[in-house]
Amino acid sequence: MSKIQEVKEKVEIGKTKLVPGLVQEALDEGNAPGEILQAMVESMSVVGEKFSSGEIFVPEMLIAAKAMSKGVDVLRPLMAGDTSASLGTCIIGTVAGDLHDIGKNLVSMMIESAGFTMVDLGVDVPAEKFVEAVKENENVTLVACSGLLTTTMPALKEAVETIKASGLDVKVIVGGAPVTPEYAAEIGADGFAPDAGSAAVKAKELVA
Amino acid sequence: MLTKRQNLMETIKGGKPDRFVNQYEFMNLIMEAPLGEMAGPGQTIKNGWGITFSWPADQLGGFPVHDEEHKVLKDITDWKNQVKAPAVATSDEAWAAAVAHANAVDRNEEFVAAFVAPGVFEMTHHLMSMEDALMALYEEPEDMHDLIDYLVDYELAYAKELINRIHPDCIFHHDDWGSQRSSFVSPEMFEEFFLPAYKKIYGFYKANGVELIVHHSDSYGVNLVPFMIEMGIDIWQGVMTTNNVPELIEKYGKQMTFMGAIDSGVVDFPGWTPEIVAEYTKKACEECGKLYFIPNLTQGLNFSSFPGVYEETTKVIDQLSKEMF
Repeated sequence: MSKIQEVKEKVEIGKTKLVPGLVQEALDEGNAPGEILQAMVESMSVVGEKFSSGEIFVPEMLIAAKAMSKGVDVLRPLMAGDTSASLGTCIIGTVAGDLHDIGKNLVSMMIESAGFTMVDLGVDVPAEKFVEAVKENENVTLVACSGLLTTTMPALKEAVETIKASGLDVKVIVGGAPVTPEYAAEIGADGFAPDAGSAAVKAKELVA
Repeated sequence: MLTKRQNLMETIKGGKPDRFVNQYEFMNLIMEAPLGEMAGPGQTIKNGWGITFSWPADQLGGFPVHDEEHKVLKDITDWKNQVKAPAVATSDEAWAAAVAHANAVDRNEEFVAAFVAPGVFEMTHHLMSMEDALMALYEEPEDMHDLIDYLVDYELAYAKELINRIHPDCIFHHDDWGSQRSSFVSPEMFEEFFLPAYKKIYGFYKANGVELIVHHSDSYGVNLVPFMIEMGIDIWQGVMTTNNVPELIEKYGKQMTFMGAIDSGVVDFPGWTPEIVAEYTKKACEECGKLYFIPNLTQGLNFSSFPGVYEETTKVIDQLSKEMF
């Protein structure tokens, strides 16, 4: 089995302690950092699909994301300035009036694993703050807004409308327990995802 | 007419109830027991475990605070030094209000129901954050087993005092085990870590005179139902419609009763109307039937987030009882 293949497999099953060493071995074999990164992105795509289909659960997804992150740590010094593998920056946050962060954190982790640079604004984020963050950060291609409460659905709507009204060239993806594809379309979002795995797939699709 | 208690027993035993069990009516909840500090709206408190909870006034509930400053358990491998259980209250004074309340309940009519929260799973993530707790199950399973044993020992110490003081007929125990779409952990992981813990806890209550274990988890949990039955749960409160409740009743009703099927999120919001409540309550009652089912908002206590929703639901269930029984 090639080292790259081994990296892929170990990321998928969340071998956090093994992955950094395997990434180094893959580099020593002469594989390009970008190639290794791509292999890990593909692993996380499989992880996302398995999570969406109910084959694996949150801990498996978390541990795989952590394994990838440790692999990326090895690659990072070698990839400074190389943006070819990046899908851009994604601003993420839970909308105003809503303090739920677990779902948002999972989505953030999976979108990052898909190749985005994440800027996490946290929870209870006012609509204007999403816009400011798009302006303040480089190469923002996507904004992800989360809302878990039926009571904060109007805030989700406001966030999407404010971002769209700013005229900035970014896509907006929304999600959270009460959000439906119909509601997402109604408030003008570009995309919707029902879970963290699907969010990564949709995020890539939106900026392709 | 059966008493609330008799009607509940007829419902969960597959007998002849004369009406729907109406939400929490069978439980006389003893909320005065010294369970520990809990944050109310607008408050930030630190409880006996050192966990900081914040409930901003404009929110529907409180949250544990998990920034680096406030997280109690920062390193699972060092949990023995970082986690210190509070003392269980054992004074007559601490229990006086709960005892007085329990003594005033007509046990022929209702169950004296002790409220217990948070649960063991919730305690792990309250101490260390959800992400850390879930990853620790993978990365440091032995320490997690030890921590869970420690949490169980504390629960049992509290349970012993609770039983001696108010002799509850029913335990209403919270522990949220999933989101609306899936359980947080796999069935295998649940079986390894949490089934043994709850077999001890619920087994202890049952061995000490508690007739009824009602467990709250307002989530998906189909894949955990066999374990819920094995650990001794009589009623799963908070069962959401994402579980396909009629199918669960068909498959498991003789072993466990399902309480909920009216998702709070769809009826309990600022713009609620009696028509919305009636629609979802009627649907729940018609689809789930008269046995092994208790129509109820999925919320984990006997009220709603927005005034009037709980009472309206009660009214609709009463009306449906008249029409369907």
